[in-house]
Amino acid sequence: MTKNSNMSVLLKGLLLENPVFVLILGTCPTLATTTTLIGAIGMGLAATAVLICSNAVISLLRKVIPESVRIPCYIVIIAGFVTVVQMFIHAYLPTLYELLGVYLALITVNCIILGRAEMFASKNSVGKSVLDGIGMGLGFTLALVSIALIREVFGAGTFFGMEIPVLSNFKIEFLTKAPGGFLVYGIMIAAVSKITKGKAPYKKEFSCANCPSASFCGKQNCEERKGN
Amino acid sequence: MDSFKSLVVILLSSVLVNNYVLSRFLGICPFLGVSKKLNSASGMGLAVIFVMVMATAVTWPIQHYLLTPNGLGYMQTIVFILVIAALVQFTEMALKKFVPSLHKSLGVYLPLITTNCAVLGVTIDNINEHNFNFLQSIVNSLGCGLGFLLAMVLFSGMRSKIEESEIPESFKGLPATLIAASFVSLAFFGFAGIVDNLFA
Amino acid sequence: MKKHIKSVISLTAICAVVSLLLAVTNYVTDPIIKKQESDAVGKALTVVLPNGEDFQTVELTEYKLPETVIEAYSEKNGGYVFKMTTTGYASGLVILCGIDADGKVAGATCIASNETNKAETEYGKNVVNATLDSIDKVDTVGGSTKTTTAYRNAVKDALNSFVILNGGSVDLRSEEEILADNLKTALPDADEFTPIFITEDMEGIKDIYSANNGAGFVFVTKDKFIATDLQGNVLTETEQEIKTKVSSAAQKQIGVTLTEIDITKYPDMPTTVEKAYKTSTGNFVLELRAAGFGIRGDEWYGPSGEYIKIKVSVTSGGKIITCKTVSQKESDGIGSACKEPAFYTQFNGKEESNYADIDAISGATITTNGYKTAISKVFEAVKILKGEN
Repeated sequence: MTKNSNMSVLLKGLLLENPVFVLILGTCPTLATTTTLIGAIGMGLAATAVLICSNAVISLLRKVIPESVRIPCYIVIIAGFVTVVQMFIHAYLPTLYELLGVYLALITVNCIILGRAEMFASKNSVGKSVLDGIGMGLGFTLALVSIALIREVFGAGTFFGMEIPVLSNFKIEFLTKAPGGFLVYGIMIAAVSKITKGKAPYKKEFSCANCPSASFCGKQNCEERKGN
Repeated sequence: MDSFKSLVVILLSSVLVNNYVLSRFLGICPFLGVSKKLNSASGMGLAVIFVMVMATAVTWPIQHYLLTPNGLGYMQTIVFILVIAALVQFTEMALKKFVPSLHKSLGVYLPLITTNCAVLGVTIDNINEHNFNFLQSIVNSLGCGLGFLLAMVLFSGMRSKIEESEIPESFKGLPATLIAASFVSLAFFGFAGIVDNLFA
Repeated sequence: MKKHIKSVISLTAICAVVSLLLAVTNYVTDPIIKKQESDAVGKALTVVLPNGEDFQTVELTEYKLPETVIEAYSEKNGGYVFKMTTTGYASGLVILCGIDADGKVAGATCIASNETNKAETEYGKNVVNATLDSIDKVDTVGGSTKTTTAYRNAVKDALNSFVILNGGSVDLRSEEEILADNLKTALPDADEFTPIFITEDMEGIKDIYSANNGAGFVFVTKDKFIATDLQGNVLTETEQEIKTKVSSAAQKQIGVTLTEIDITKYPDMPTTVEKAYKTSTGNFVLELRAAGFGIRGDEWYGPSGEYIKIKVSVTSGGKIITCKTVSQKESDGIGSACKEPAFYTQFNGKEESNYADIDAISGATITTNGYKTAISKVFEAVKILKGEN
């Protein structure tokens, strides 16, 4: 497999290892910020920026950071970049800042970012880590936008806030609410698994294997839980 | 009396109306990951309640006596996440040493909580979103934790049914779980408005 | 050990670098954020004070403003915007009110509320151009009286604050507080006062208050508060004419006792009369009910289902001395005006021939007529009570 060629590092995030639809990471913002397209794009790009920066820095420092404190270090670096992004959005895009609210700060605990830091950036060169960040970030944005497209167009009858003539009279408001978010997300995962059947490492279960916390909660604990 | 009433309203609305999992989408990962069995769901829920209340008790004074007076409001996220991570770490060590039985039942869920966005979410919300005082913050955190536990327990019951039902191949596993979550969330819609009118 | 130290050092170093990065970013973005927030505030303020320019926050600790005012902004032309919180029907209202340099309301808007009827969203338009003199005359909205009254009072507070900030002084006391202060000034030895229900025909006296600690009485004339001791000797220095009036009133009222009359002994007594007393001077005191808008006939009807309770003192000759509404549950803002002294004191001094000669409550014909009917029973009752004596 040409698994490690730069192009494939970049592209795998978009579909085959799409963080939202295939790796099932970052579910919280996926559901919360996809009621509007603007929110989805804002969240996607903000997370992408953080992801690229944190991947780059963590990859750069991968030989310096001691193994035992690597998770706290990652968290501090990620939280730092999140705050930087947050401050810039607050300063230059106040409406978006209001729209995303607490979810902007919560990029810190977005599993995608910590997950990529742990699974990829800590093991690969800076260049590849940046590419991985771009790919994963865009994959995340793409997923958010595709969910938001359904939820905004059919749920609110608008497209980027502009009313769609006929649809706005027949809007399915349920989709903009919390249950609609779960429903659309579920159907999208099913659709992606159908499309990529056999090619993507499709997860049947949401288990410890793809939980980024697994690396520091310790394999032993996960085994224990399986035993429960 | 009035303040007691406001505390009850805060508690009820955070458990039922603004349920963190089902209406604000915070803490979805553990909600989907650890809700397969009733005992693991309740174990995780209890651990979350504990950490949420502890984290709020620590972060609220930090924000109001350390960060805000010194113009360090921008350090909020980074300080809070470190506090939570440290708290989780200490709690686990303390439990392991002093209450091994509790550690056996709750301990395994504790490390997962650092990256549970509901915990960071509630500590930030108490300050930025609601501007609660200390007591209100504690009550709100308790309510959010209870709401999380409630959602987990309810959902674990629903999941055991789904495991046994016949569904199309592509929907097996996660998609079906998410759609089930959608129904539970829909059920919680019924609570909207109750709390507002309870004391009106 | 060495490993541990290395871990701690690297974590600390990373924290320090990140903090530095944040401080730098904050240094760059903070002024922009601050400016934006003040622009946003300025924009919101312009809505209620369209001509306002260059808003500045006023430090409130230097002034004693009404409690509802939580924030104030001055602007270049001399206008002010006040932010107030008040309690409406169910919960709080947050109101922004702009006052222009002439002391007129330039605009008012409710920026946060949780009321049920949503009357507060539009009510701001009604108070535009109101001044301190005219604000009390702005109508409240029927069906949302509590909310709109609270709104109007908040706007009044804003107008008062405007006067205070411009160096003027305003009597912020409520009517009750003013009364309490006046009573206290007249009779400084007293602590609290209880109103006395006047049962004797006297001239020039509006109200009488008795000090709870036995320090004496305060007689309220048209515009004066005159104190007497327990025997009715006038203590307050005033014109001889008033002194004479007060002491004659005191001689009449002080020491009067009431004896309850068993009205069941009078089969013809109107059913609306609930209690009757005879004074030691031969007058009567009656407690009766009136069917207002809440009640029609003997059936429960209308919004409240409660009678208006009235207390009347009357001479044996059939002249009303004092009439007072004790309780009522008429429609708020309409029939409820029957609880105002301006309405019920109209019956003072009236007799059977002219009692109906009063100004009706506007918009509340049923309440007024029910009240009048109840008063007509007073004269009937007096005749019955006298006939038996």
